[in-house]
Amino acid sequence: MAAAGAPMISRRSNRRVAFIALSMALLMLGLGYASVPLYRIFCQVTGYGGTTQRADEAKAAGIQVTDKTMSIRFDANVERDMPWEFKPLQRTDTVTIGERDMALFWAKNDSDKVITGTASFNVEPEQAARYFNKIQCFCFTEQTLQPGEAVKMPVIYYVDPAILDDPDNKDVEQITLSYTFHVTDVSDAKTLDHSPAGG
Amino acid sequence: MATTVPDHFQGNVDHHAHADHDHKPSFFARWFMSTNHKDIGTMYLIFAIFAGIIGGLFSGMMRVELAEPGIQYLDIFARWFGATNPDFNSTLHVWNVLITAHGLIMVFFMVMPAMIGGFGNWFVPLMIGAPDMAFPRMNNISFWLTVAGFISLLCSAFVPGGTGLGAGTGWTVYAPLSTSGSPGPAVDFGIFALHLAGAGSIMGAINFITTIFNMRAPGMTMHKMPLFVWSVLVTAFLLLLSLPVLAAAITMLLTDRNFGTTFFDPSGGGDPVLYQHLFWFFGHPEVYIMILPGFGIISQIVSTFSKKPVFGYLGMAYAMVAIGVVGFIVWAHHMYATGMSVNTKMYFTAATMVIAVPTGIKIFSWIATMWGGSVEFKSPMVWAIGFIFLFTVGGVTGVVLANGGVDDVLHDTYYVVAHFHYVLSLGAVTALFAGFYYWFPKMSGRMHSEFLAHVHFWIFFIGVNMIFFPMHFLGLQGMPRRYPDYAEAYQHWNHVATIGYMVMATSLVVWLINMIYAFSAGRKAEDSYWGEGATTLEWTLSSPPPFHQFETLPVIEEAAHH
Amino acid sequence: MILGKTVPTLGEAAKALDLSSVAARSLLARSLVVAAFSSTLAVSSAIAAPAAEATSAGSYTPMKPTPGIGMPVEGGIGLQQQYSKLGEYGEWIHDGVLMPIITVITLFVLLLLVIIAVRYNRRANPVASKTSHNTILEVVWTLVPVLILIGIAVPSIDLIAKQYKPAPKGALTIKVTGNQWFWTYGYPDNGDFEVVSNMLNLPGQPTINNGVREVGSQPWDGPSHLEVDNRMVVPVGEPIRLQITAADVIHSFAVPSLWFKLDAVPGRINEKVLLVEKPGVYYGQCSELCGAKHGYMPIAVEALPRPQYDAWVLTHAGGVIDGQKPAAAAAAPAAPAAVATEAASEAPAADSTAAATAE
Repeated sequence: MAAAGAPMISRRSNRRVAFIALSMALLMLGLGYASVPLYRIFCQVTGYGGTTQRADEAKAAGIQVTDKTMSIRFDANVERDMPWEFKPLQRTDTVTIGERDMALFWAKNDSDKVITGTASFNVEPEQAARYFNKIQCFCFTEQTLQPGEAVKMPVIYYVDPAILDDPDNKDVEQITLSYTFHVTDVSDAKTLDHSPAGG
Repeated sequence: MATTVPDHFQGNVDHHAHADHDHKPSFFARWFMSTNHKDIGTMYLIFAIFAGIIGGLFSGMMRVELAEPGIQYLDIFARWFGATNPDFNSTLHVWNVLITAHGLIMVFFMVMPAMIGGFGNWFVPLMIGAPDMAFPRMNNISFWLTVAGFISLLCSAFVPGGTGLGAGTGWTVYAPLSTSGSPGPAVDFGIFALHLAGAGSIMGAINFITTIFNMRAPGMTMHKMPLFVWSVLVTAFLLLLSLPVLAAAITMLLTDRNFGTTFFDPSGGGDPVLYQHLFWFFGHPEVYIMILPGFGIISQIVSTFSKKPVFGYLGMAYAMVAIGVVGFIVWAHHMYATGMSVNTKMYFTAATMVIAVPTGIKIFSWIATMWGGSVEFKSPMVWAIGFIFLFTVGGVTGVVLANGGVDDVLHDTYYVVAHFHYVLSLGAVTALFAGFYYWFPKMSGRMHSEFLAHVHFWIFFIGVNMIFFPMHFLGLQGMPRRYPDYAEAYQHWNHVATIGYMVMATSLVVWLINMIYAFSAGRKAEDSYWGEGATTLEWTLSSPPPFHQFETLPVIEEAAHH
Repeated sequence: MILGKTVPTLGEAAKALDLSSVAARSLLARSLVVAAFSSTLAVSSAIAAPAAEATSAGSYTPMKPTPGIGMPVEGGIGLQQQYSKLGEYGEWIHDGVLMPIITVITLFVLLLLVIIAVRYNRRANPVASKTSHNTILEVVWTLVPVLILIGIAVPSIDLIAKQYKPAPKGALTIKVTGNQWFWTYGYPDNGDFEVVSNMLNLPGQPTINNGVREVGSQPWDGPSHLEVDNRMVVPVGEPIRLQITAADVIHSFAVPSLWFKLDAVPGRINEKVLLVEKPGVYYGQCSELCGAKHGYMPIAVEALPRPQYDAWVLTHAGGVIDGQKPAAAAAAPAAPAAVATEAASEAPAADSTAAATAE
């Protein structure tokens, strides 16, 4: 046995194996973090989790209107302790598949603070999400409401006719579009409302 | 002088020669700065026993509360944790702290340290003929990180965690209950505990992988390694690949809690379900991390006491590799109720059922190993046979739960509690006791009482079945898990389970008496006290082995029967 | 006690009129039913009046649950009796396919272990064989489990497919919201009123929900820990689109006897069809850890025939039937009101209209 040489070699090769193993661990750590954007992209592309598609005007203009219809339901929620009222102005609507349509939501700030909110959203049944395209939506940006202010907020959308060819969607007769508003910022109303009056 | 290793491995070992320069360091240096794999293994085992007693006490507290409907003891427990005049919410919060702490302690601070840190450290170098682990000092750091993690977890019980003291999120730490739902530092302490224990385990995994790949004695090829070494190798890879994902997920929880990020918060575009995906991407391999070394232990024991080589050695080794690989692609079966799409649910149902195949190979191979053998029912063997049966029961209920459509009625009920306790509490823990009785004389140099070990087994076996078998009934009847209180219809079986807990606890007293007996009056253990069936390298050494072993590496020769 | 008995009778009477048929939905059938129960059960509506209070329209007395139905039974060892098509199918898969298979496998393993203990112990078999390979055996115990699993997978995958069949366009939609620690049920198709459902307090235990009565204080109360102050009332025999969300942390809406469990995740809705086959009260509990009172937010689903469901809807301010305008809805039962001159038909009309215009 090479009693003298062996430990030296094995120590060096130990470091190499450990280094490879450590790299694998770091790679998985990186994947853990990367999963956040990857999951988002995955949902956006496949409609997984009921994520709707976002279409620009150009894409929407190229969509063939069909003679089939689809019932759309609208749903609105606010997170706990958010002092807003938030409702769809129509519960359901029947749209022609491929044709763009507009739905209106209504929100009112019941507090005496200026509140900024954003809406999270999803579609059920979730296999319909990849065919549900929003051209314009209040959920694309943050919404700020002054104390007591009420607004009507539009969503312009269409259902992609490709849904008619998808066997997963053959039983879907009604699609629900749901929004939930969350507080992103609360600021004191005084700075905006009362300072001109007071000063 | 040379000792001949019978049967499978031919060892050429010279251990008496260095007995005279077998100098041990001083007490502090030996136990606090230890770099010796056997000492570190011993410390891991003592630590695991200590943590297991605490985790077991918590389950006892839960069982007495569940003995009958209504809340009877939680306010007393709340005071134990330092609450003065707890209101009803903080009383109930204690329940959530108990389930959380019980889960985290048993998983991270009992089963894992005992299996991998304890038996892995002790016997992987011995079985492959290595003088020590590849990185002895890193080994020491791994251990003390685990201890630090445990202390951090214990600290969390005494600081505010939302509705009461302590982290009451469940061991799964789901957002948003663990973020916006649990203000106060308790959950941060809990997350920090997982970070520390996780870092320790990743270091341990790197250490084992390097040791097993690089430090095998001449002739000890991969396909000659004892199955316990194979099991630790697969486990180390599972740790290495899954724990960093947990680390990432809980770090994101930490920043969501404290620094305003919104990884899992829908108000900023995050998704709480993503946390569950990340957690279970770690969590499912984690359950195999807990059970695979147990498979390895059982394989050694069954072979030893049947006086036969393991049946289908290669199939056994690669079945573990297969279980490890498939374990990474089935995670969402823990999330059937989250509202996943139909195709996803079908995929995870099918993939999960696949795991039953390699698991079946293992069960049947163990039976085939015993078949035709000359079986000696010494205490480790009795525990091993108990393991095979209990693990089968836990395994088949796993097949039931794998069905996404059936899970609609069983998800998050006591059926699930029964299932994972049959594979973990009765599976992993039974394997731990089997391994303990198998190797205790080797580690301590003293024989335990075989009689007490058998008594321990039978009381334990009856007790755990009384605790967990009725939980199947409760689950089928719809009793949800993580409930401190329940409808009267659930009382009958809950009462039986609580009595079962007391039976089980009695068996642990027998075990402790046995330990006291062994250290005070136990006879001195021979080198290979289980006789001719024990063929792996640790049996070529004295009991306990010298402080440094294999300074001249053993040579493993081609066994005759191949 | 009298109340408790009258309610199921009422259910039977209505059921006799075959509610699931289209005809039952027609105005004629509806007025007949309304007439039938307001005349035969004048007593019941009179007693129910205080419960319905000022909102009064239609009438409603909570149904007394049948012991052992829609709830766990003492010492039970199997699944709860199922009251939905999918539940019956799932129950068959569990009891008829999975249980026999796993029992046989477990007993087979046990039998082998017993044989080993008897035949291959050291005394009976002093010399161990050295067999460590048998290719045929290894192939068999790989392939046989594969075949068994395929046998399980076929009905199992089919069950999943059926569970995911979406609700038809016209299905009634009910919105379920999990809160710490109670459920709210919204009825967007019935005038968008909301029912807040709290667990009833337990006698001799600390107060769980302030202002809520103790369980057992009304004759229709079901088991403790499961009964609530306001149940989720649903029409029986028709698919209902349940849309589930949460306002704070994750909850899970679960009713074992209806084979139903779906998480309530904040920031999104989950949807699934619920179809209850028989009138009755079905209990469930929150099934995802949601904080201190996770154990104290049960679910009680009361399935009623359509006419009684409609009558229940009209007990709520703003309650509307079948998406019609409140006035029209009220006019329908009001037309044959010559028979039913009770407050049951007229007062509600006025009230609900008022509520709707106020909104």
